[in-house]
Order: sequence, then C-alpha cells, then structure tokens
Amino acid sequence: MIFLFIALPLVVAGILPLIGKISPRLLPDILANAVFAALLAIALFAGPSLIGQGAGLQPFMFLGEPLGIHLALDGFSLFMLAAISLVGLCIGLFSVDYMEHYGHKAAYYALLLIMFAGMNGLVLVTDFFQIYLFLEVAAIASYALVAYGLGHEELEASFKYLMLSAVSSAFIVISVTLLFGLTGSLDFGAVSQALRGLNQPLASGVCAALFIMGFGLKAALIPFHAWLPDAHPSAPAPISAALSGLLIKVSGIYALTRIFLKVFGLTPALSNILMILGAVSMVVAAFLALGQKDIKRMLAYSSISQVGYIVLGIGLGTPLGILGGLFHLLNHALAKSLLFLNSGSIQMAAGTRNLEEMNGLSKKMPVTAATTLVGSLSIAGVPPLNGFWSKLIIVVALVQAKRFGFALAAILASVLTLWYYLIIQRRAFFNKPDEKWRDVREAPFLMTTATVVLALLCIVIGIFFTATISTWIEPARDALAGGLQVIQSSIGIQ
Amino acid sequence: MMALQIGLLCGLVVFSLLAVLLRDILKAAISLAVASLLLGILFFRLDAPYAGAFEISVVAGLITVLFVVTIALTKAEGGVHESRAAAWIFPLFFVVFLVIDFLVMRRLIGQVASLPAPAEAGTFGQVLWKGRTFDLIAQVGVIFAGVFAVLALFRKRSKHE
Repeated sequence: MIFLFIALPLVVAGILPLIGKISPRLLPDILANAVFAALLAIALFAGPSLIGQGAGLQPFMFLGEPLGIHLALDGFSLFMLAAISLVGLCIGLFSVDYMEHYGHKAAYYALLLIMFAGMNGLVLVTDFFQIYLFLEVAAIASYALVAYGLGHEELEASFKYLMLSAVSSAFIVISVTLLFGLTGSLDFGAVSQALRGLNQPLASGVCAALFIMGFGLKAALIPFHAWLPDAHPSAPAPISAALSGLLIKVSGIYALTRIFLKVFGLTPALSNILMILGAVSMVVAAFLALGQKDIKRMLAYSSISQVGYIVLGIGLGTPLGILGGLFHLLNHALAKSLLFLNSGSIQMAAGTRNLEEMNGLSKKMPVTAATTLVGSLSIAGVPPLNGFWSKLIIVVALVQAKRFGFALAAILASVLTLWYYLIIQRRAFFNKPDEKWRDVREAPFLMTTATVVLALLCIVIGIFFTATISTWIEPARDALAGGLQVIQSSIGIQ
Repeated sequence: MMALQIGLLCGLVVFSLLAVLLRDILKAAISLAVASLLLGILFFRLDAPYAGAFEISVVAGLITVLFVVTIALTKAEGGVHESRAAAWIFPLFFVVFLVIDFLVMRRLIGQVASLPAPAEAGTFGQVLWKGRTFDLIAQVGVIFAGVFAVLALFRKRSKHE
C-alpha cells in the first residue's frame, strides 16, 4: 500500500494527457484531486496501522520474485506524507478554477502529480542514490511548473532555479559518491553502521559539508537562498504554495534531518552549524521581507525566515527542539500554502501583486481577507493559532538548552514577522476601498474552499495542539530518536 | 597506463569547459559529446562496462543526436546581449574550484578506502532488475517529468493567455 504514494500519482500522470484529449478540463480536475484525496485517506487512516505492522519494511514481490524495492514507513515519513497529501489536496482544489486561464490542464496536473510522486518517493526511500533520483523527479517537474506561465519573468526565474538546483544536485551526488567509496553501500542503515566503525573525520566532514550545501540550497537557507525569491513568486499561485509549503521542506529539511539524525548522528559541531544557518536565515530573511512591495516576494522571503525556525529547532537536537521544529514544519506548510493561494486569488481578481496598488480589498474579498489574516497571524506566532505553539516550543527548547542568544533571535524574528504581515494586511485589505476595485469579486467557490480549509486547520490545530502533537509530531520525533543521543549528552539533557 | 588515464581526464575537463564556453551551440553540443565519449572510455578502463556502454550510447550518442536535431530545427533570431561578467566569472570560478579541489580532494581521496565489494557485482539483469529495481521507477518519473515539461512549455497558448 505504501508503494501507492509513488505509483498512483505516476500512473495517473502518465494517462492524464490521453484523458485530456477526451476531456480537457473536467476529467483532469477530478482525477488529480481524487489522487490527492486517496493518498490523504491512506496516510490518515491506513498509515498508523501500517507502521504498527512494520509492513513498510517488507521487500516487494512481483510474480513470486523479490524485487529490489525497500521502502520504509516510520512516524517521520508518515507525518511528511500526511502533510504532503493534505496540502496537495488543497492545491488541487484551488487549481480547478485558478489554472483555467493557463490552459492545458492535463499537462499541468501531470507535472503536479509527478512533483508529488517525487516528494513522496523521497520521503519513503532508504537509499542515498534514490534520495537523489526522487529529488530530481520532483525538481524537474517543478522547473516546468515555475515556467508554466511562459512569460519572460517565469522563464528567467525557472532558468535561475534550474541552474542553482543543478549546483545543489552536484554537491549531493559528490557526497553520495564519497560515502559509497567510504562505506561500500548506499543504504542508510549500512552507511550509518559503517561510518561509526570508520575513523575518518575529514572524509565524513566533507560529506556532511556537501550535504549541508546541497540540501541547504534546496531548503533555501541563507546564504544558499538566491533562487527562491525569484522562483516562488513567478510560478502560478498553486505552484508557489507547493514549492514554499512543501518542496523546500521535503527536498531540503526532510533530507537533511533524515541524513543527519539517522545516518551521521547529530554531533555538537553539526548542531551548531545548523543552528547558525537557521538563525541567520530566520533574522536576515525577516529583514529582507520587510522591504518588499510584491506580496509573493514578501511571502517568499518569509518562507526562508520560517525555514530558519525549523532548522534552528531541529538543529538544536534536543527532543523538545525537534518536536518544535517538526510542528513548525507542519504549521508553516499549512499557513504558507494558504497565503500563497490567497495571493493568487488577489492577483486573479485585482490583476496586481504590488502591495502599494492594493487598498481596501477586504470589502470586495471578505473570505480571502479573513483567511489571509488567519494565515498571517499563524505564521507570526499569535495565540491561539498553530504557529504560536510551535514557535513557543522552539523558544522553550532553546531556553532549556541555555541557548539564550538563539532564543532571543527567534523572538526578534517573530516580532519582525508580525510587522511585515501587518503591512500586507494594512496595504492589501484595510484602508478605504479604491474606486478601481468596484468590479472586483471574491474568488470562485473551490478556490475559497481550499483556503478556508487551510485557515480552519490553522485554527483547529492551534486549539487542539496537544492532540496534534501526540498523534503526529511525537511519533515523527520518536522515529528520529536514535540520532539524538550524542547531542543530548553534550548539552547535559537526559 | 596512468598517463593515458590522466590524459583522458584532462580531455574530459577541457571538452566540458568548451561545452560551456563556446558561443556556437552546435560546437558546444559536439564538445559535450566528446567529453562524454572520454568519460565512457574511462568507465570501461575502470571496470564499469555497463556504465561505459550507457554513457557512450545514451549521452554521447542519443542525446547528441537530439541536440543536433533540435539545433537544426531552430534559427537564430536577433542577438542576445549577455552581461560581460559572464565571460570571466565562469573561468574565475573554475580556477578557484581547481585550487580548492587540489587542496582538499587530494588529501580526501587518499583517505577513501577501496570498495569492499566490486562495484558491479552480478550480471547486468541482476543489477538492473533485482539490485536497483526502484531506480528504474524513479527513472520513469524523470522521463515523465521531462516529456510533460516539453509538452507544457511548448504548448500552443490558449486565447485567454
């Protein structure tokens, strides 16, 4: 059943262009959303029992012959699959109306499904080379999706993204090659065991550094962030939501976390490097976001800043820090997807992304205004929304580990985040409505449904945060527990 | 033998550089093909015949044909003005890379032990269908992504666009 997370989107993507010939709009809409809904149902209802049975670790058989396919489903990968499918479904629903004017929906959904198959594959594999392969599957689809509008800006952003992504892939492949040379294996478990038996700090340090640069580029951590503020705003809004909400987390943070916590083991030096990268991203990107006039560019810088929080929490390496980091990953995926989708609604209705040209849209677009407020306050960390709890957990974890400087930076970045999100609210929605918006209408039903679902999730998860943590986040954190011992003992937390 | 190996590696670097720096895209495509041919020969010499055969047939052969056909089907339209910085940034980056490479990798490679097992154990079929089955599924994904990217990016624009 786990294999469906990769096979189902790939198979449907393969037949979509043919179906698109019969029904250019309706069937691609239905099929793509049905895939996301089916995967979400599997993740939510069948996933926990699959982990209990250990079914994910069984080898796959075909006509009685074992195949070389080994997928692993643990609390961390199930948590990621659930987040990917949930946000994917909202993006799919939003795309039904939003992508209407782009045309060729079958090709669009095919690329979207391939990108999701790539992300799901990356989350499930247990082998370094397959990490690289699925990273490329998701990345190639995302280059095309960024350029989907075919305008000059989109093509240029896509090219820049492609070039920097190629550099990132090169770092990753070099590191995988070195690891293979060192250990003679590509399997996570075997490499982990072999590395513990080797005494080659320089070689393993170079591998770790190459992984940090490669996956740091994918996660857009400062100073590897140059591609993101161009690529994310240029893409169609649902793709911006998928890139900022999911792709940078799966291909950057998930891979870094899985490799450093489960294979290398988080040493104090690695922890410090990740925390510094996280803190610098968090603060610098927050300042950069403040100066933006384009709403999507501001959201893109905000993504870099929030990824900084996640890396800071996970990089701290204590159980509470990782819990906060993973919880913030989920919360940011929901809230940032919501905000990017709303920026698309605004662009579609008002024809602009420039905050200085928007004024008083809340009267014309009340649902979009209300859901944007929820998303903004959630990311800024205002109680009782979900983002507040994850940021609070990260700050408490930092204080508990006596990392007061980092805790202060996290609080400062949170204040800056609230500042630039209030700028969006004030410029786009408050103030007196402009006369030129008299013909502006609220976004179509399915677009607002997708954003309302995401906004409700931000509120519900905020209110029932303890249930969310115990059901999804703690199993994810516990799956990474093996890699925590070194860092726990180094900072005196038992 | 080592001299031949070093000669092949130097040729690989030179033709890869030419593929990036040459202004004429046909010459650049042919330089890439030569680079990949040299890489294929290196694979053979390093006892990786499957990798060598794929490198030469697919990258040096098939992909070069695709590049040349595509170049033949396109025509130059107006000059694209590139920043002058591009002409010296890449060579500068390359020199810096070479220096770092020389300082770090020389020590590093000395530390990497030889592989405990042969890189390509078993027959081709065993490696492909039993050892690395899942790679094939990911390859299907990569091919799908490439095909649909071409379909999407070279589509006829609708009236709305």
